[in-house]
Amino acid sequence: MVIRALFLSLAVFGFALTSMGQVLDDPTEEARAQALMRELRCVACENEPISQSSAAIAEDMRARVRVMVGEGASDGEVRDWFESRYGEFVLFRPKRTGLEGFILWGAPFGLLVIGGLIAFGLARRRKAGAEPVAPDEI
Amino acid sequence: MIEFGHLAAFLALAASLAQGVLGLTGARALAGRAAVVAFAVMALSFATLLVAFAQSDFSLALAANNSHTLKPMIYKLAGVWGNHEGSMALWCLVTLGFGAAGALWMRTGRDVFEARALGVQGWLATGALSYLLFASSPYLRLDPAPLQGAGLNPVLQDVALASHPPMLYLGYVGFSFVFALAAAGLIDGRIDRVWAKEARRWALAAFIPLTIGIALGSYWAYYELGWGGWWFWDPVENASLMPWLIGAALLHSVVVTEKRGSFAAWTALLAVLAFLFSIMGAFLVRSGVLTSVHAFAVDPKRGMLLLGGLVVYGGLALGLFALRAPKLEGGKPWQMLSREGALATNNVVLVVAALTVLLGTLFPLIAEATGRTISVGEPYFRLTFVPMLAVLLAVLPVVQAWTWGKADLSGVWKWAAGGVGLVAVFLLLGVSVWDIPLGAAFGLALALWLIFGALWEVRRRAVTLARVFRLPLRVWGMTLAHIGLGVFIMGAVVETTQRYEATLALPAGGSGTVAGWNITLNDVHAIEGPNWYADKAVLTARKGSIKAEMAPTKRYYPASRMPTTETAIHKTGAGDLYIALGDRRDVDGETRWVFRVYFNPLIDFVYLGVGLMALGAFFSLVPMRRRRTA
Repeated sequence: MVIRALFLSLAVFGFALTSMGQVLDDPTEEARAQALMRELRCVACENEPISQSSAAIAEDMRARVRVMVGEGASDGEVRDWFESRYGEFVLFRPKRTGLEGFILWGAPFGLLVIGGLIAFGLARRRKAGAEPVAPDEI
Repeated sequence: MIEFGHLAAFLALAASLAQGVLGLTGARALAGRAAVVAFAVMALSFATLLVAFAQSDFSLALAANNSHTLKPMIYKLAGVWGNHEGSMALWCLVTLGFGAAGALWMRTGRDVFEARALGVQGWLATGALSYLLFASSPYLRLDPAPLQGAGLNPVLQDVALASHPPMLYLGYVGFSFVFALAAAGLIDGRIDRVWAKEARRWALAAFIPLTIGIALGSYWAYYELGWGGWWFWDPVENASLMPWLIGAALLHSVVVTEKRGSFAAWTALLAVLAFLFSIMGAFLVRSGVLTSVHAFAVDPKRGMLLLGGLVVYGGLALGLFALRAPKLEGGKPWQMLSREGALATNNVVLVVAALTVLLGTLFPLIAEATGRTISVGEPYFRLTFVPMLAVLLAVLPVVQAWTWGKADLSGVWKWAAGGVGLVAVFLLLGVSVWDIPLGAAFGLALALWLIFGALWEVRRRAVTLARVFRLPLRVWGMTLAHIGLGVFIMGAVVETTQRYEATLALPAGGSGTVAGWNITLNDVHAIEGPNWYADKAVLTARKGSIKAEMAPTKRYYPASRMPTTETAIHKTGAGDLYIALGDRRDVDGETRWVFRVYFNPLIDFVYLGVGLMALGAFFSLVPMRRRRTA
């Protein structure tokens, strides 16, 4: 387990080495780890994902993501681990649970449906006598 | 000098008040003269601020807090608007500028209507100037004057960012005049073709600088923040995107009102909303209610005043709208499958997209009230905002040839089949040959589909090659804007899905490999600028026969004790090799430098696409001006 050995060495040297962002050997796993890093929020920064923060805690969090991905954890498991540790705040991809989650994820779709119905309703009321006319300019 | 400027701003306030009163009573000529006078004295007032900054007159509190003798001249001048008070002065100047421009160039032939538009603009200017003079005055003196200033925020000392606020404000505040036109039209009870023709010009005049301003801010974030990305879905960025989306909806809706007399109430509502969203953007950025990486000049009290202004102006305008909208004339009949129906769909999606950005931006605040701390970031917008716009754009080539009133549907199936076929081919290629995500394959197909559709429409309208160049400029404007969207999508999709990033920790003489580039650190040495000192790394990047010297730098500005990243970017046809210098680490007695290395493929397409959209909007504006002044 190269990754495990890597993590042990990281633990020994402290964050001086973790900051170097040793990448995972498998490019697919590394890509997945980077994608996860882009949607986890740095808990010490203003409004930044851990993928783009120089804070020490972000470095530790990045290392943790790589270790978990290297050990075969799924995206959901990584998110759950961070949520249990730092709270829902850490997820830039908000959860769909609860009333808040329902409103946040449902509203765009609901608004599109309402808007579409209004447009159809208007068109129905105004369609009597519609004649095709070619646009002169735009 | 500054006292003179202060006095001039009060004179501008008096002139705006006069413009407001005279305008609403219907005195077109007098209100117009007041508008020009107000702009002229405010320009003088703003000039005194520029002079104080140019001369580093630190008895001016604003200069003492935001300038420094050692700054290059361009940043001394840009320092005027690189802070809250000065940027409000710029906001006022632009408001008055649009009032004066309106006084000189409105051509509806309706004196009372034009007077009222100037009147409403006068009241908007009165509000802005009162806020400037009584709540955030840039004209205050310091006694005793300090010998040295505190310096402009170092990350703002940059050409793109120095020009970003003026452009953005031309856009935001440009919508104030569209708002004024809508209010005057509603008072009149006439939102008709003549009104739409006028409103469209001013909406374009605001939309063009807003587009450029957003692009400049994004480009700045790309090379200055050092994280390789160009859009972060940060509240401050979202605050500028919302009025842009509403403005884009307005530009499509106002055409229906101009050509067919339909959508009158809806167009007026969008004209009002574009400016309300602009004020709301200012409120979100300035009040500190949202955490953002680059919110500046945060002060809750000023935020409350801005919110108050938003409520008063918004309440009045929407109240007026509710009174008058039911009485507006309806225009020519149309059915859903028609040009009107297509543009209605465009408007529903663009407005819902803007509301989605609003919801995502404000939701953390709303959730906090219920006790949940939620973060809304890029994944949310990628899964809501992006698909709805993708569907809208996928339909565009199919419906763009549709006639007003009622579409001729005979060719539709061919187009739909062509689109579906193109997407299918790309999805197949994406999975089997290119090995890219399905979303990326779909995005690329969409981009080509849009560009092809826009070109096909030119061919259809022109019929023969000789007539291509005789098409109205407005058609070219539309075509360029839609091609620009396609180019933008291509760049955005490729950049976000194929970007490669890695971190290298190199000792002097060491090298590493990133995305096929061999990168060698030759040396790191200290350098000094006028008001900063820096670590400059000299690297050689090699790939095949390409060899590039790159020098990412990390600057420290002693005046404000802040570091900034100066990234090194090597442009190739395929994209940017991008290197940012990070921290220095000492490991086992060896000094290593940390570099963040990115390869950002097709990033230039993002900015080229946005540039084409702005150029398209410009083409749409020009011919109308030419015809009118002739």
